[in-house]
Amino acid sequence: MSAESSSAPENNALSELLDLSMPANSEAIATVVDTISETLTHLEVPEQKRFEVALAVQEALANAVVHGCGNDPSKQVRCRLKSDPHGRIVIIVTDPGPGFSPDLLADPKQRENLYADHGRGVYLIRQLMDEVHFEHSGNEIRMWKY
Amino acid sequence: MGPAVDGLRQTMEEALGSGDTRIVLNLAEVSMIDSSGIGLLVRFLASTKQRGGNIKLVQPNKFAVQTLRLVGVLNLFEIFDDDDVAVESFA
Repeated sequence: MSAESSSAPENNALSELLDLSMPANSEAIATVVDTISETLTHLEVPEQKRFEVALAVQEALANAVVHGCGNDPSKQVRCRLKSDPHGRIVIIVTDPGPGFSPDLLADPKQRENLYADHGRGVYLIRQLMDEVHFEHSGNEIRMWKY
Repeated sequence: MGPAVDGLRQTMEEALGSGDTRIVLNLAEVSMIDSSGIGLLVRFLASTKQRGGNIKLVQPNKFAVQTLRLVGVLNLFEIFDDDDVAVESFA
């Protein structure tokens, strides 16, 4: 299922840079985010872009841990980092959960939601990344940064 | 998310539990605020305001400001460069 436009390159044009798995534990998120940030630093990705990717990955992993795995550390979340020949990167986060429908999420900037204590993660990802797709009924998110 | 947000939640609950509603939060050492941190901030902001208080932010970095702006809550907070000025603003 795709939630956004589709101009991303075909998968066979992508080079895999990282393939990480982590237990569904919130304390494991930082290590994965740091590993991705370090890889982007080595690729000489500018600081602003690294920040935007890191925060988007943080949010995607948090959603996978909490909603996809129910905070069950016996379950695994997979996070892959790939790039295409033009230097564009994509991060793919997959969880074993049933997925969800991102189009049903409320707008966190609506007045009645401003003081809500949740519901901003997917919105933030969409703001931070250039292209966002949800696959496999929503339990896999593909986030592109150009 | 995780220990950082849990620690802030505990600190804020203790402050509110002891009757403190005028809170200055120095974010100089915070490199990134995620949605769980923002949720915590706005929830406690609402709690303090309901009791006549407020939460004032000091020295958030450019990424924290950007994130707060992206989700539309930046203008809910007063932001200062200096702890003392933030404290004095409650007078």
